[in-house]
Amino acid sequence: MKIFAIELRKEKRTSVIPLMLAIGILGAAYAFVNFIVRKDTLLNLPLAPMDVLLTQLYGMVMVLNMFGIIVAACIIYNIEFKGSAIKKMYMLPMSVPVMYFCKFLILTIMLLVVIAFQNLALTKIGLTDLPQGAFEFGTLLCFAGYSFITSMPVLSFMIFVSSRFENMWVPLGIGVAGFLSGMALAASNNTFLCIHPFVVMLKPAVAMSAQPDIIVVIFSLVETAIFLFAGLWSAKNLHYE
Amino acid sequence: MDYIITTEQLTKKYKSFVAVNNVSLNIRKGSIYGFLGPNGAGKSTTMKMLLGLTAPTKGSFTIDGKQFPNDRLSILKEVGSFIESPSFYANLTGKENLDIIRRILGLPKSSVADALEIVGLSEFGGRLAKKYSLGMKQRLGLAGALLGRPPILILDEPTNGLDPSGIHEIRNLIKSLPDLYDCTVLISSHMLSEIELMVDDIGILNHGRLLFEGSLDELRQNALQSGFAADNLEDMFLSMVDKDNASRKQRVKL
Repeated sequence: MKIFAIELRKEKRTSVIPLMLAIGILGAAYAFVNFIVRKDTLLNLPLAPMDVLLTQLYGMVMVLNMFGIIVAACIIYNIEFKGSAIKKMYMLPMSVPVMYFCKFLILTIMLLVVIAFQNLALTKIGLTDLPQGAFEFGTLLCFAGYSFITSMPVLSFMIFVSSRFENMWVPLGIGVAGFLSGMALAASNNTFLCIHPFVVMLKPAVAMSAQPDIIVVIFSLVETAIFLFAGLWSAKNLHYE
Repeated sequence: MDYIITTEQLTKKYKSFVAVNNVSLNIRKGSIYGFLGPNGAGKSTTMKMLLGLTAPTKGSFTIDGKQFPNDRLSILKEVGSFIESPSFYANLTGKENLDIIRRILGLPKSSVADALEIVGLSEFGGRLAKKYSLGMKQRLGLAGALLGRPPILILDEPTNGLDPSGIHEIRNLIKSLPDLYDCTVLISSHMLSEIELMVDDIGILNHGRLLFEGSLDELRQNALQSGFAADNLEDMFLSMVDKDNASRKQRVKL
């Protein structure tokens, strides 16, 4: 808890927290505006109203979330490298892997807030703009959880990459390359491609149904854990010299 | 003799390059120990090993009777350090930077003002660290090392980037530390004239090997016996290092 509070203090003037809040608000605003402008077109699609609400708006919202995660992960570790502050952390009586885990936790909590904002907007749209009785809160909660779980591999991967490179442009470039390659591969039905964390995050956006895909969920959980443990291991064993 | 830091055959190899070669140091409790050597001699690497920043390839060391990695946390609680260049969060003020360290060390709030006062940064505590001049960053790094008045200080070239009056001020400060709060200081510097005015004992390192360890008087006697100039530390140091370099060249030729 002490290290978590210290990590939060370090974020002062870094824009990590305002950035993630802005992503949440922007995603919510996009969903509102998009549904208002394209309401008739969207509701005339040959899909169930809840599938329309959840899958047809998620593409752009997911791209926003992805870029938010990439940039926030880069910033959260760049502050450690900018003035060689991480070197001091290794020379103090504290656990650097715990520090890594707290950064992971901060971004995870911020992602939850982002998704909560966006789903509040979807709830409002569902209650006011979907046909009477079509809105299902349980389906929305389930999809919100699905989008959170599928976003976690990118978050876990990006923190790991950011913690390994002093030059912020490297993880940023890896993030953009991950996004572009993910976009190219996401529509494929090849399950093996789910080892690519960005493909996993894009999966709910290219699906036509709001029902979670259990294979994608399993891939997400495994990848999140692998990248998290890789990050914790490197923080413990690969010292900053 | 009551030694607070001892190293036993400490060695660090990077592939085929030996940065530190079987170095055995003995640092007396309450003394100021000057660690001298040309660039690349292995001073910083030795200090990094003492702080757990890099693992020794061979050998061991004890700090106040404790050993890495088992006693890492309790060793680091006792050691204030400043290695190579100041480390700070550029997005935070000087005060906020020290507050982060204070929280990690579990010290009272007053320790931040105390450390800022010691290094003469009190009036600039509210300024962002990225806007500090090089000398101010150096002072901030020193304040981070002095925070909580630790019993052991490991300082790697702490006067780099300071102006002459700053160097004088920091030298006087370091000189006063053992009497102020019974602290042991291991300091490296290229400024031999400064070191001469400050230290009790000296260790001279060249190409990773410890050429000499002892007091200034012992160094003087050693220099006289070897036929070197013994007027000042700089002459003795240069003669010793030159002789070692010449014998290394000789060995390479053979």
